[in-house]
Amino acid sequence: MKRFLLLVLFLVGLGWALTNYQGLATQGTYNSIILDFREDVGAAQIESQIEAIANQFKVSPRYNSEFSLDDHIFVVSGDPTFLNKLKHSELRKFTEYIEPNYIYSKYAIPNDPEYGKQWNMRSINVEQAWDETKGKDVTVAVIDTGISPVPDLQDTKFAAGYDFVNDQSEAKDDNGHGTHVAGTIAQATNNNFGVAGIAYEATLMPLKVLSADGGGTVADIAEAIRFAADHGADVINMSLGGGGESNLMKEAISYAHSKNVVVVAAAGNAGRNAAEYPARYPYVIGVSALDAAGTKTPYSNFGAGIDISAPGGLINGEDKLGGILQNTVNPQTGESVFEAYQGTSMAAPHVAGVAALVKAMGVETPDEVEDVLKQSALAIDDDPLNHYGAGKLNAAEAVKLAGKGKFSFRDFFRWLRDNGYLNPRFWFDGGVIALWPKILMVLGSYLLAWFLKHYFPFAWTWSLSTGLVMGSSGLFFLRGLYLYDAPQWPFRLMGSSIPEMGSAVQASGLLNPFSASVLIPLVLVVLLLGHTSWKWFAIGTTIGVGVCLAVSTINTPGLMWLGDGAIARAFLATNALLCFALVRLVLKPETRTS
Amino acid sequence: MSIQVEGTIERKGFGSGTWALVSNSGDTYELRKAPTDLQKEGLKVKVDGEIREDVMTFAMIGPVLEVDRFEIINH
Repeated sequence: MKRFLLLVLFLVGLGWALTNYQGLATQGTYNSIILDFREDVGAAQIESQIEAIANQFKVSPRYNSEFSLDDHIFVVSGDPTFLNKLKHSELRKFTEYIEPNYIYSKYAIPNDPEYGKQWNMRSINVEQAWDETKGKDVTVAVIDTGISPVPDLQDTKFAAGYDFVNDQSEAKDDNGHGTHVAGTIAQATNNNFGVAGIAYEATLMPLKVLSADGGGTVADIAEAIRFAADHGADVINMSLGGGGESNLMKEAISYAHSKNVVVVAAAGNAGRNAAEYPARYPYVIGVSALDAAGTKTPYSNFGAGIDISAPGGLINGEDKLGGILQNTVNPQTGESVFEAYQGTSMAAPHVAGVAALVKAMGVETPDEVEDVLKQSALAIDDDPLNHYGAGKLNAAEAVKLAGKGKFSFRDFFRWLRDNGYLNPRFWFDGGVIALWPKILMVLGSYLLAWFLKHYFPFAWTWSLSTGLVMGSSGLFFLRGLYLYDAPQWPFRLMGSSIPEMGSAVQASGLLNPFSASVLIPLVLVVLLLGHTSWKWFAIGTTIGVGVCLAVSTINTPGLMWLGDGAIARAFLATNALLCFALVRLVLKPETRTS
Repeated sequence: MSIQVEGTIERKGFGSGTWALVSNSGDTYELRKAPTDLQKEGLKVKVDGEIREDVMTFAMIGPVLEVDRFEIINH
């Protein structure tokens, strides 16, 4: 009993830690307030109410336009304090809503003639971000195949870099990849030529580590990371990956982190569960790739190590419109070309570019920058395989959040990892668990058992507690656990409650009607009723499943084949009741004999 | 780690393009230092080479296989 209480306390504590992810709502600016009077409130009454607030607060509400007359919509100037006062005044009773009149403005569209083809720029809302910053005074190191001075980088600022392949100070591109990546970050923009880049007032630092054939050694890359950290880089972009774990590289990344450098890396293009090195090292923001429709591309890696997702493009044969268009060099001729590429290589520089914008807003430490990027990302609710990390990159929200200067993203698991409690071979996806329903399920089943104990006295045993947890919530924190390079479904299965098991392997958010029913509890009761101690496991499970199904009926009634409407709700509710009836049936003779 | 892989040569469209060897069991290797004779899509080959754990690439399509020797099975 005591141990069970401790477990409940632990779960509540865990819940507290995880829900500190929230408080993410970011709001626009307003200097007036909308009042919408109810349709059934008469004109005379509206007039007297308007007069009352006019006298009370010394304001003059007015119709928004001549069309608002019929809709009973008034606008009154005021700030958040006034809004709060109004919401708590008499007026509330007569209105449908009282809300801020947010100011929308049209954002400047750059004059680069090919900008219309850059769907990726619009999908991260970069235009709104440019109202605040364009990344001035921030240096982004591009660790890649080098950068060539193509025409659309002419207005872009450069810092001194290095060519680690040929050991020389000039780091020109003999492949085209690095120049393309650099273009996404800081292509000259509003220059009436070519295309746009994200942080186009930032400074680029070219570091060549990949040779013309696209490969490079860990030793060179680690040296480039240290070079960047020592020469004033604020952000490092690594659109590269592969190979095995390397202490040299891990230490170089830790060093850069200690020097306040944000490190961003591509997840990899093998279409598998787990990001490549270096994206999976601690302190590296791992980026998966989205297509123009905003879904994960088939080639992009996913799962362990993915922190955020960004446009990487998807090219369909000769049709290159779905790719990411930048100015680069043709590797055969060395001439300037505008070319569409695809890959997580293209996704990472979007994040690096926005990181530069966030840095330019005055956010200093890499952990804070990562927090801002993750908090401002457009979260994907149903992401059981972690295709998207914290969500889709959103430049406008990131810059807005950075401007507020307040973001307390207490990432419990990062704290665990940074303090050595989590082995670096593990990775945890906190976003996968809908926490409060789980807490409700486990607490609900505990309370129900306690209530039943009152009427049908029985001893509290470990087998009962185990049954309660297995039936209601399962060891749900395991659901988000990943072991690099191993399949994740065993963790999903172990982290599932009995009702969830029928859909755990295929990672569906829907419940399987066979497992999410009275069926398994019934079988357990029939099999274990004769056993003195295991019987309580069956009883606990039945109570747990009943509560789980009851919570699911209200909260998330999605069932495979049955949808999420009235049929699903009726099915879940019926089975919840059957579970409770079963418990009652089993407990009744128990008390008679005792 | 030196290994022998039998499979088909493919061109993968990441960046400016990369040569890959897709093994008969479906694993994808990125070819490093692939000789010109090997750079032909659809070629069935047997490649002897070394998996380079210390090399990273921008293609990131799978383990990097540095070619030592190869044998063309058919076109």
